[in-house]
Amino acid sequence: MLRRTTLKLMATLASVAMTPLGALAEMPAAIDKPVTISFYNYNLASASAGADATRELLAMFEKKFPNIKVETIAVPSNEIMSRVQADIVAGRQPDVAQLVFRDLIYIASDLGANALEDMVNPEELKAHLTGMIPQGLELGKVDGKTYGLAYTFSTPILYYNADLFKQAGLDPDNPPKTWTDVDAAGRAIKEKAGKNGFFPGAYGPVDGTFVYQAIVMSNGGKVRDGNKLTFADTNAADAVKMLRGMVESGAHAKIDVASPSDTFAAGNLGMFLYTSAVYGSYKKAAKDKFDLRMAPMPSFGEKPTAPTNSGSALYVFSKDPEKQRAAYELLKFLTSKEAYTVITSKIGYLPLRLDIVDDPNYLASWVKENPMFRANLKQLDHLTPNIAFPGPNYRQVEKMMMDSVREAVFGTGDPSAVLTAAQDEGQSLMP
Amino acid sequence: MTIDVPDNQPPMPLSPNEGTTRRIAVHGIMILLSALSIFPIYWMIVTSLRPENEIFSTLPWPSNPSLENYVFVLTRIPMLQMLVNTTIVATATAALQVLTGLLTAYALVRWRMRLAGLVHGLIALSWLVPFQVTMIPNYVLASRLGLLDTLTGLVVPNAVAAFAILLLYHSMRSFPTEILEAARIDGAKSWRILWQIVTPNMGAPIASLAIIAFISAWNEYFWPLLLSRKPENSVVQIGLQMFMTQEGNLWGPLMAAAALASLPILVIYLILQRHVIESFMKSGIR
Repeated sequence: MLRRTTLKLMATLASVAMTPLGALAEMPAAIDKPVTISFYNYNLASASAGADATRELLAMFEKKFPNIKVETIAVPSNEIMSRVQADIVAGRQPDVAQLVFRDLIYIASDLGANALEDMVNPEELKAHLTGMIPQGLELGKVDGKTYGLAYTFSTPILYYNADLFKQAGLDPDNPPKTWTDVDAAGRAIKEKAGKNGFFPGAYGPVDGTFVYQAIVMSNGGKVRDGNKLTFADTNAADAVKMLRGMVESGAHAKIDVASPSDTFAAGNLGMFLYTSAVYGSYKKAAKDKFDLRMAPMPSFGEKPTAPTNSGSALYVFSKDPEKQRAAYELLKFLTSKEAYTVITSKIGYLPLRLDIVDDPNYLASWVKENPMFRANLKQLDHLTPNIAFPGPNYRQVEKMMMDSVREAVFGTGDPSAVLTAAQDEGQSLMP
Repeated sequence: MTIDVPDNQPPMPLSPNEGTTRRIAVHGIMILLSALSIFPIYWMIVTSLRPENEIFSTLPWPSNPSLENYVFVLTRIPMLQMLVNTTIVATATAALQVLTGLLTAYALVRWRMRLAGLVHGLIALSWLVPFQVTMIPNYVLASRLGLLDTLTGLVVPNAVAAFAILLLYHSMRSFPTEILEAARIDGAKSWRILWQIVTPNMGAPIASLAIIAFISAWNEYFWPLLLSRKPENSVVQIGLQMFMTQEGNLWGPLMAAAALASLPILVIYLILQRHVIESFMKSGIR
């Protein structure tokens, strides 16, 4: 915590010192001489398909823009924010960074990221954003301006083990649609198949808040309203009470919160609500072992669901107009039809441009081969932005909220009282 | 009623049967504890030999063992380069910590200096400062010196360690003064005394320090994580992290990489088993 506080303080001072007052200088219309930009990327810090796809995209980009050289800095996702902050402190201004949505407000207000509306000619920006789903563009906005351009993102999806459904006497072709259905199916799996019923990837140390927020918002709740915390308000608390009810009924498993993903991949969990980004990994684990299927996230009765987003956005930090142009060209390319074809088909993230889904030049053949992906695409219609917390203590507030959710779901105390106590305590850390 | 117990009564000898039972019990416990210690290593190796859809199998041996995960590790990340980098960094760090430790400890023990006690105290206090506190200032300095993404940058901040100085300081204090006085009377200066008399006779503490410093540098994660910008300039602990991804953990390759990363330490342990155990016993597990 000390490290984070020191980093924040130093980064704030450095960004304030380095951010020019007033409007940004106008960037040139094209790059006519060699420019090198840095790109902080977490996919490249892994040995997964994400790294291969990113390398492929960058090779395509450098071929298209021979004057722009992209110097990549590979950092794991849970450390990339610290690295960006440390480099700002060290005077090594990043040009482009792939950062997760939870840090959005802090990046915009404290780290000096550029709003695209301030950097790019309005017509040029409009031309690029045309065709991208509006809900997706909302994800990276702060006070109406686009600081992060959604890049690799996904929504919570209900993975289920069709073999366990059959063993429990359930119809795998008719997966649960509501939380009441999940409760019934979870109990059946527990009682008849002798395996764990349901678990959401919402409580673990690396899960963030997006699955929890999707459940809360699907019940009409919100975790904050302006600078006021609201995660203990009626609708939000009722969503947590629903999870607690499933724990008490036996439908919701009581397993290690850090590894439900492995429990599901091992075939010991019937239903798992988690990011669609891990589909490729489950597909390999389930091969010849169990029948893996996907369904949209469950709803509260007739209420529409509010799938939120996990994943990352691209941010531009360059102050030099030449580099800003190069950075913007990189952003444009990485969110183009060609790029989303690679991102969706090779990593498994959602395309921000839906017109490529059935286009034979882009994703049509891949979607045909992977029909289950449509469950994921369906949710894009009601994609709801994940709510980030403002102020320098945003991560502490987030942690207090998630600690209280775990206690409310798995503990013995009154869920509302637990959430209210954490909300009151967390409010003092809000701006 | 009281029972008189005679003083200094020798312990009653065990009957042959009781002795055997006790030995079996003691050995049984030791075998159990050994099995518990070895099991994670065994499971790491077995998992590294399993195909992807058998990763979560509880069978004690894979049905179709293969080296696929090792091939994946060696082809997908620059693992061999990382192992070479880690060996260079760990060896250089251990050697420099021994060197700087010897020089500082000798000065503090043998030279009469004002404020020597204060210096010693400050060094001891610096041991208590967590790495996280110095990490960012060190990073800024390394950046200004152009040491980012270099092996030199990984070694330099760890070239002097309070732990090394204190360990050698205490060993040097117990070195017989008479021998040093005799050498001084024979005309030897500090440089010669340190390298020709003191150091050759401090084999055990130097070996202990070198082993601990090597293992500690081998396992270092945070500083390389901050300093490295490209996998080929990084170390093996960062390589392990590369198999834990946003798109799921690659357990098979991760276990294969962990097996490769632990091999050199295992070899050192097998060769220097006695010294390693003594090092940890004397200095506490770091």
